Amino acid sequence: MNSSRNLGLVLMAPAIVLVVLFFLVPVALTAVFSFTTMSTSTGITGGAYQLAPNAIQRLRDQFGMVELAQKLGEPSFVIDERGLATLEAKGVAPGIVAELRSNHLNETFTVRRDVERMIRSLRERPSTPEVKLISAEFSRSLANARFADEAALFAAVKAIDAQLTEDEKAALAAASYSGWTWTTENFRRMVSTPDTARTLFNTLAYVSLTLVLFNTGFAMILALAVHYMPERPAGFFRILWLLPRITPPVIYVLMWKWLAWDTGFLSAVLDDFGVRPRNWMLDSAANAWVVVVFINGLVGASMGMLIFSSAIKAIPQSLFYASEVDGAYRWQQIRHIILPQLRWPILFVTCYQTLSLLTSFEYILLSTNGGPGGTTEVWALAIYHTALNNYAGNLQYGYGAAMALVLVVIGIVLSLVYLRLFNYGALVARPLIEH
Amino acid sequence: MRILLDGFTKSFGAVTVIENMKLEIKDGEMLALLGPSGCGKSTTLFAICGIHKVTGGRILFGDKDVTRIAPQERNVGVVFQSYALYPHKTVEENIAFPLQVRRLSADEISRQVNEMARLVHIEKLLGRRPAELSGGQQQRVALARALVRRPDVLLLDEPLANLDAKLRLEMRSEIRRIQLETGITAVLVTHDQVEAMSMCDRIAIMDAGRIIQIATPSEMYENPRTEFVAGFLGNPPIAFLNGVVGDGAIDISGTDIRLPKSAGALPSYGARVVVGIRPENLGPAGDVPVKGRISFVETQGRENLYDLTLPNGRVLRSIQPVRSDVGLNDEVEWFMRSDRIFVFGEDGARL
Repeated sequence: MNSSRNLGLVLMAPAIVLVVLFFLVPVALTAVFSFTTMSTSTGITGGAYQLAPNAIQRLRDQFGMVELAQKLGEPSFVIDERGLATLEAKGVAPGIVAELRSNHLNETFTVRRDVERMIRSLRERPSTPEVKLISAEFSRSLANARFADEAALFAAVKAIDAQLTEDEKAALAAASYSGWTWTTENFRRMVSTPDTARTLFNTLAYVSLTLVLFNTGFAMILALAVHYMPERPAGFFRILWLLPRITPPVIYVLMWKWLAWDTGFLSAVLDDFGVRPRNWMLDSAANAWVVVVFINGLVGASMGMLIFSSAIKAIPQSLFYASEVDGAYRWQQIRHIILPQLRWPILFVTCYQTLSLLTSFEYILLSTNGGPGGTTEVWALAIYHTALNNYAGNLQYGYGAAMALVLVVIGIVLSLVYLRLFNYGALVARPLIEH
Repeated sequence: MRILLDGFTKSFGAVTVIENMKLEIKDGEMLALLGPSGCGKSTTLFAICGIHKVTGGRILFGDKDVTRIAPQERNVGVVFQSYALYPHKTVEENIAFPLQVRRLSADEISRQVNEMARLVHIEKLLGRRPAELSGGQQQRVALARALVRRPDVLLLDEPLANLDAKLRLEMRSEIRRIQLETGITAVLVTHDQVEAMSMCDRIAIMDAGRIIQIATPSEMYENPRTEFVAGFLGNPPIAFLNGVVGDGAIDISGTDIRLPKSAGALPSYGARVVVGIRPENLGPAGDVPVKGRISFVETQGRENLYDLTLPNGRVLRSIQPVRSDVGLNDEVEWFMRSDRIFVFGEDGARL
């Protein structure tokens, strides 16, 4: 008993490792990322403090510290011991250094012209190259300087402005930090941006249209048609409808593109009837929707067909005989005998396909890529575009993760709802069909 | 209603299962199609109800040729071996289904369903589903569903095969009662000769797609036309011995049993024959002595069944009231009744 339990654990270990690695960890990381500002510009490792022009602008605009921003933004020169020491090391005339130390120590200038005038007026009258060399050593401008941590930043600022309040320090650190930070801004943004509602609506339309029309509806029609066919053509049609499923997605979508392009099959054929050639896939939003639903539906219908077919096959033949001699014609047979007994397969396909449609976007990505103008952008594709690949190039990992987290939550909630609908306990009990 | 199969032929692909069968079922009669597995009895039943299309010949209900008519329009009631109740419908909905697909009014359906439920004694079960019924109850529901639309003929395909022994006895008489009460023409398909004999007016015994003999149960038992019929009817079954026609008698090979030549023509001297002796025709009384050893005793309560092994190794059976004077391995001399013996030729036909 004990050894068999251990064996069970050993056998389950690979599955547990895979679940943890490929499901739990990604979900956890998504949740973590969704509360950050990570993007291409922040990177995903820690950042530095840099008084880049945009940081100074933020200091002025976001934190209202106009004076500080002005001061940090300007070049500034400070006659300090550090500069003097450098000059000595570089072999500048000792007289110049001595005079600067005795007469000008701790003087500050905001304009290069002023400091150079002061240097030129020194008793030793340095030449113009010397003046340039000396002034450069006293330049203490912070613009575009990078600091590894806050302390270095504050020390540098202190050199040009001794009186930083705590508020100013905090503002300065926040404005100049170039790495990612923790935030709940992603979710606020998601609620407020109009794109969210449109993408959600697109997703709802995409999932429900594909599910109802094809993954269950058309699949059921196929399964019933195949059921009433003789064995040989039935097998042929089953294989035929599996072809889209076993065709590699890229090739399958490429064939759709060939069909729909403005120089493609449709246009070529319709041209003969006087229809203007056009890109039938992206010509209008309606066209794009039809194509997206068809592309996904024809692939998805095959699974429903297989499941419904086998469920119909599982109905004892005698029930069909009985209903025939009871006087039921095909339609009555379908309505009274077959459909009531396919309740569980229908629920299963609905559940499974809802979840898989919600998360799969490869066919849309390959065909319309959300176009034209974002009309077929569904939630999963929007996540991909936000976080992983877009034209602008600034990939917003944090925001994308927040959107993905919403999808995960929707998926889990739907799963729970479906499990209730399924009445999972009854499903794992003994089969309903009795032979 | 009279049912007539005229030249009925049925093939599945290249295999012809039934060829040129003629069978008449009289109005109001209950006829058994009796035979071993694969003899074509269920195929015949499915052809009558229209589930199987016939390959050749005609099927008439009364004077109406229904050969090409779909099962939906034939007006037959069928009770399947598995009952084929619709698992998702209640008993009431199951019985109502044949009326429902004919779009009868709800009142009419309800009235007829209740009437039928009373007939088969399931009034209290109308709200249940088939899974909540016992085998016998399911059987009654199946009967009610088959009868509810007053079919021209009631077809029963091995209806008792799935029941336990006690229920089988009960349903045997129930089905017969219901058939007599409704006066419906009925066909019972079975491989069990006891069912066929106890329930039916006539038996059509089938073998390899052919009807061997049609007769009333007693006529068939008393006067079987072939060795096959004699072997199929009777429980415990008949025993056969090989013999040779001798001088005015039949010599049983390997024994000293001599059966006096009975009335009727026997084949010429030296012809080989098969002799059939039913267990009740071998015992303490009779005219032809048989010596042997009791090799097996089967207690049946009121009677005992004895296996009597002859010197040539063949076994005869004898059924007798329980007696204590003989036991296993006793050597005994019993007697056959030569007037109740069947003699068959080498081709199995009765002589």
